[in-house]
Amino acid sequence: MKGLIENRFGLLALVLVALAALYGAAYVGRPAPVVQRQPQAVKAPVEAVSVVCPAPGGTRISVVTPPHSEGPDAEGSDDKGPGGKGTGSATLTRVHASAEAAGAKTGKGGGSPKPEAVIDRPGVLWQREMPAGGGPITVAASGSMAPGLESAQTARDTSGTQRGLAGVRCVEPGADAWFVGPGPAGADVRLYLANADAAPADVSVMIYSGEGPVLSDRGNGVILQPGEHKAIELRDLAPSPLVMALRVSTGNGRVAAAVKVVLRKGVDWLPVAAAPSTTVVVPGIPGIAGRRELYVTAPGEEDTVVQVKAVLKDGFYALKNKEDVDVPAGSTATMDLTTGIGGQPAALVLTSDVPIVAGMVITGTGAVQDVAFTAGAQPIDLGSVVADGRSSRKQTSRLVLSAPFAAGAVQIRILPQKGTVPKPMEVTVPAGRTREVKLKPPAGSGSAFAVVVQPQPGSGPVYGGRVLDESTRDGLLITAQPLALARIWTLVPPTTDSPAAVLP
Amino acid sequence: MHSVTAIVVAHDGARWLKETLAAVLRQTRPLDRVVGVDNGSRDGSGRILVEVFGAGSVLSLPRSTGFGEAVHEVLRRLPAAPAQTQAGHPQGQVREWLWLLHDDCAPDAKALQAMLAAADQDPKAAILGPKLRDWLDRRVLLEIGVTVSRSGRRDTGLEPREYDQGQHDGAHGVRDVLSVSTAGMLIRRDVWEELSGLDPELPLFRDDLDLCWRARTAGHRVLNVSGAVAWHAEASARRRRRVATSDEHPRRLDRRNALFVIMVNLPFWALLRSIMRNVCGSLVRTLLFLLAKQPANALDEVVALGSVIRHPLRLYRARKARRKGRKQGYPAVRRLFTPPGGAFRRLTDMVQSFLAGSGPVESAGRHHAGAAGGETDQDDGEELLADAGMLQRVFGNPGVLLCLVLTAVTLVAERSLLVGDLSAGDLLGGGALTPVVGGAGDLWRLYAEGHHAAGLGSDTWAPPYVAVLAALSAVAFGKTWLAVGVLLLGCVPLAGFAAYVATKRMIPYRPARVWLAATYALLPVATGAIASGRLGTAIVFVLLPVYAALGTRVVAGSRRAAWGFGLLLAVGTAFVPLVYILVAVLGALAAVSFGGIRRGTRTSLVIGLGTPILLLFPWLAELVREPGRILLEVGLRDPALADPRLPAESLLMLSPGGPGVPPFWVTAGLVAVALAALLLRRDQMVVVIGWGVVLFGVLVAIVVSRVTVDGVPVWPGAPMALAATGLLLAAAHPAYRITEFRAAGGLRRLGALLIAAVAFATPVAAASLWVKSGAGGPLRHDVPDPMPVLAAVGSADGQGTLLLRQQDGRVAYTVLHGRAPLIGEGDLEPPDDDHRRFTDAVAGLTSGRGGADVQTVASFGVRFITVPAPVDPALRRALDSEPALVRMSLSQAGGLWRMAHPAALPTPRAADDSRHRAWLWAQGGMLALVLILASPGRTNREEEYGGADVPVEESARKDRAKRNRAKADRAKADRAKADRVRA
Repeated sequence: MKGLIENRFGLLALVLVALAALYGAAYVGRPAPVVQRQPQAVKAPVEAVSVVCPAPGGTRISVVTPPHSEGPDAEGSDDKGPGGKGTGSATLTRVHASAEAAGAKTGKGGGSPKPEAVIDRPGVLWQREMPAGGGPITVAASGSMAPGLESAQTARDTSGTQRGLAGVRCVEPGADAWFVGPGPAGADVRLYLANADAAPADVSVMIYSGEGPVLSDRGNGVILQPGEHKAIELRDLAPSPLVMALRVSTGNGRVAAAVKVVLRKGVDWLPVAAAPSTTVVVPGIPGIAGRRELYVTAPGEEDTVVQVKAVLKDGFYALKNKEDVDVPAGSTATMDLTTGIGGQPAALVLTSDVPIVAGMVITGTGAVQDVAFTAGAQPIDLGSVVADGRSSRKQTSRLVLSAPFAAGAVQIRILPQKGTVPKPMEVTVPAGRTREVKLKPPAGSGSAFAVVVQPQPGSGPVYGGRVLDESTRDGLLITAQPLALARIWTLVPPTTDSPAAVLP
Repeated sequence: MHSVTAIVVAHDGARWLKETLAAVLRQTRPLDRVVGVDNGSRDGSGRILVEVFGAGSVLSLPRSTGFGEAVHEVLRRLPAAPAQTQAGHPQGQVREWLWLLHDDCAPDAKALQAMLAAADQDPKAAILGPKLRDWLDRRVLLEIGVTVSRSGRRDTGLEPREYDQGQHDGAHGVRDVLSVSTAGMLIRRDVWEELSGLDPELPLFRDDLDLCWRARTAGHRVLNVSGAVAWHAEASARRRRRVATSDEHPRRLDRRNALFVIMVNLPFWALLRSIMRNVCGSLVRTLLFLLAKQPANALDEVVALGSVIRHPLRLYRARKARRKGRKQGYPAVRRLFTPPGGAFRRLTDMVQSFLAGSGPVESAGRHHAGAAGGETDQDDGEELLADAGMLQRVFGNPGVLLCLVLTAVTLVAERSLLVGDLSAGDLLGGGALTPVVGGAGDLWRLYAEGHHAAGLGSDTWAPPYVAVLAALSAVAFGKTWLAVGVLLLGCVPLAGFAAYVATKRMIPYRPARVWLAATYALLPVATGAIASGRLGTAIVFVLLPVYAALGTRVVAGSRRAAWGFGLLLAVGTAFVPLVYILVAVLGALAAVSFGGIRRGTRTSLVIGLGTPILLLFPWLAELVREPGRILLEVGLRDPALADPRLPAESLLMLSPGGPGVPPFWVTAGLVAVALAALLLRRDQMVVVIGWGVVLFGVLVAIVVSRVTVDGVPVWPGAPMALAATGLLLAAAHPAYRITEFRAAGGLRRLGALLIAAVAFATPVAAASLWVKSGAGGPLRHDVPDPMPVLAAVGSADGQGTLLLRQQDGRVAYTVLHGRAPLIGEGDLEPPDDDHRRFTDAVAGLTSGRGGADVQTVASFGVRFITVPAPVDPALRRALDSEPALVRMSLSQAGGLWRMAHPAALPTPRAADDSRHRAWLWAQGGMLALVLILASPGRTNREEEYGGADVPVEESARKDRAKRNRAKADRAKADRAKADRVRA
């Protein structure tokens, strides 16, 4: 030992040995790479829902809340069933144009108008034919009636200017909504606005016509006091557009917006289109003959070329000679796809470099035609509920389901107005295909029913639409709506209290 | 016609006596009579006197006789001079003179002649004194007459160690002065008798002043004769011999006599003023003495004042004896006093010298010029070359140059961090650094308040680093951003400076110090700490060299260094608790190795390591309960800031991983040089200690870097910095050998060049890589203020703003109260219950499930919800879908929602903060005490540096050198010559 220390190289050797030992320790102690587990959002039932039916007068209102945690509901097996919090109810109230807005909102406040109806039975479809006239109706649900509450208004008229089936989901008030459809130059387009909240809403309307954005002062600064509702003829704002994308947004507050289009050949409501995105899926195009026209809007500041691909029964491909659409910045372009997808159930996948919004006009057949609209939609990852389904000798309800990116599997459950609930139906959609499913309630349960569509675990993103048609002597009445994400569940993100949140 | 009788009083002065006597006998003007007095000497002085003067002329008196008494005794026996000693002067009336001499005061051969000549010139001159110079350094002036200030302070009017170049010689070689020293005093016998000589009430100190004052009052003149020179050893004042006249401490006696002389000689009105002045002045000085840790001095000051005032009768008697002509003579005396500004100047000098580390210099045993005699400025030539210009001095210093270079490198590398758009409200923040807002006041409040409104409200005590930051901010004009900016962004030059200065005593070879400082400052730890905004590590990084420097002194047993070390360690620990453990382990090892060898090492170590525990006690106790937190440091905890899989080579190369760290090979040169240092055998001890620290630091770094606390991997910055310090010491200490090798020529010269090149490769490479990649990282200078103006304006006091941010699939939230959170507010913990409830509610709110979540959130006082850009669409939808929320704005900058129905504010619970308050006072008191004990004061060398090793002695020398420089005080704080006691 002494010799080692006294040797010139002894210390160096000692230190080197120590360093090597440290290196070894560090090398061995190095942990295996851990895959950063993404924190999983937890599914939680929705606890309160309020929606506004924009113009229920003379229509049939359907309200349904899917039943909770029953049967082999794969989603609900490990979670507590939605709406487990005892009882609850859904209240239908007129939007009340008075200072007592708070009362109108919940339908409970003192001095508020008498509720039109109170529903407290989840799992059962509630329908009522409303008398003509009257303002919008708020459907507010809490407790067990809240998760998945779906409400729709559907008008049916066999003659006159309003001839046709015209259905719309009652809208959730929001700060931003997009609609794509025919413009005021070729149709009678009316925007229904309602403020069911306690705070005033400051609404702006922006129109993107075929020629570019329409600059109009009148569309800005529409103030809706709490409980106030308005119908605006778009012709007053912008008389000229033949086609349009409409953006209704609020600076303050929230507004329930809906757009009704009356064409010479038919009438329907425009569904809310998915917000601008570089990939838009327009689902729910029925296998009914007739004209199909795609409207695409690029609301940004850049021109773009939108690639169009169709998801059909037999595959996912670009249509010949209709591979893309040029969309100038801030304007709406159209493309007639009748020859490509007419007569077959389909969905369209649009991709672009810049965010776009899209919608489609579906025209029925017959001597006097009716129209229906569908629009860009979200996948129904958490399920979807359709309140209004009808099936009778003349009326057909169908679901058009598409799985453009990966194979999908959904469970379809029909909730009849009365009688027993039939066994759910499993439907698979191969990747890149579209399937049409006709909906039939069990015999003896009446013609009206609601539908719950629930993707199965492992399913890819599924897009869909519901189409309702009725054949009459002078032609087919038709209405459509893309399947919207049901308000059954929400994803509760993992939340942490972290002062680091102040850092970008 | 003159007749001069020389009276030499000796007391244990054999060392000087021979020369003194020879000088007396060598006078060109022969003496008429000589008398020797021996005050009971034990060293043979009496024998020498007898040998020289003859037994008849020598008087033997008891040992306790004072100087004045001795002279009185002589005069009592000495007959008057014969009327006519010499024929040929018929008209000559004999004027008899007494020449009082100390045994250690050798007059020049012409001294007497010159003084008598001056006396001839001025018939009113009754007392004359020679110009006194230093016995050893014969050109140094000691006295040219003495005056006194109104507060009783003796004042020679000289700078310390002033050379006599005739600059003070008066016109015609004569200065009219208030008094002269008794050493060499020539006094007319009749005047002596008229005034009854030196006052026996004053056996020691100020007797000369009293006598001369009385002479002046009586209308005589007191002259200092420049032509007459005497060399004076000031043997008693310099403690070259024991002073044994009085039992009292000479310092106290001196002060007492000073006050006494002033009080008895001043006329009544001036006396009143003087009493006022002296009482106030004494209290102030007492306080200063206490601050300077000189309680004995403080006591003396108070007791001296008290003992004068306590005896009014004695005072009255003495005043009565001096009544005659006192008032009439006062104007003549007054103009000779120290000018009125002198007292103030002395006070400022005293404070200055206290700050400079030498303590108030007016104490016993110091005699203006001689106290630090024999010292030269050689050992601090680096700081002070006498005649170099300021610029040359500053820029010629390699340390300053190094700092400038490092600053330049830092500025270039941090180009993206330095410019922030202040008008846009951009903040410095990112990584671990909370965006810096607020000022010193906010931080103080945070630290002192018992209940914090921040976040969800909390009763936890703010961590101690908040107080440190508050203090630093207060220094930086109350601007926290300035303090944080300088400490964090300026960490590299600061660390370089600290390393350069701290190694001064350890590494004498200056190029090695420059290299060491540059390498240290540019270590990966530093750049990494800056890039990830680790304020704590930055501060510790700057402090580490200081720890090392103080540590050596602590190990050497220095108390003062130990207190300072403890204080700084507490600061570092408050920011990075791991530092304490590292230092404690090394300290324990040092105690084991050196504790037995050096006296006081253990006590000093206990002080050094115990101080942080005392100062940080409750916080440390909490830490111990959650040991994981010891490994973390101040700031936000972002898992991305550290690499849990740090490769082994990085760990060995002192690269801590994380953002802003250069490739691991940057430090290769450093490691290679340190390994090479192991081959040298001459300085093996230091190299081995250095390597020991390296191995310890790296081991800790390896262990620590594999640990994850609360999902946050630990960043091994502090142990890496420690290891680097050891490595640098090992490499730099023997670096002076390079010069030997270079001088050796041949292969060795080549080797020396190679080693130097390899060594300098590290700092150069680190600097260039840093400059190339820039210092930015997670740390940014353009963090937008998270608090929206709209919300800040709209929220009442106590209302909060909930900030939500979607980050990789999770929602992070925090509650702001009127402004962005302060540094340290993130460490407050709200009550668990509230916290869980609120988190659940926020989760529900962000999911958009509706329900009562909004009400829950609102019940915590939240009025606004802000989502900074980019706003996640799902989050936006969720908030928009909530009926109880009203959107106020949504833009590129983010979204803001308002509660439609704000809930009533929660009433803050009345927190019981009496315990907190008590602790704060206790902590403040301890801090003040530690500060006083750590701050430089007068050091008692005998005690403190008893067993000091080399560096310590150097420090002592430095202290002394500083003391030399602290001028004036000492000169003016001169005391009466103790020599006279029994000289």
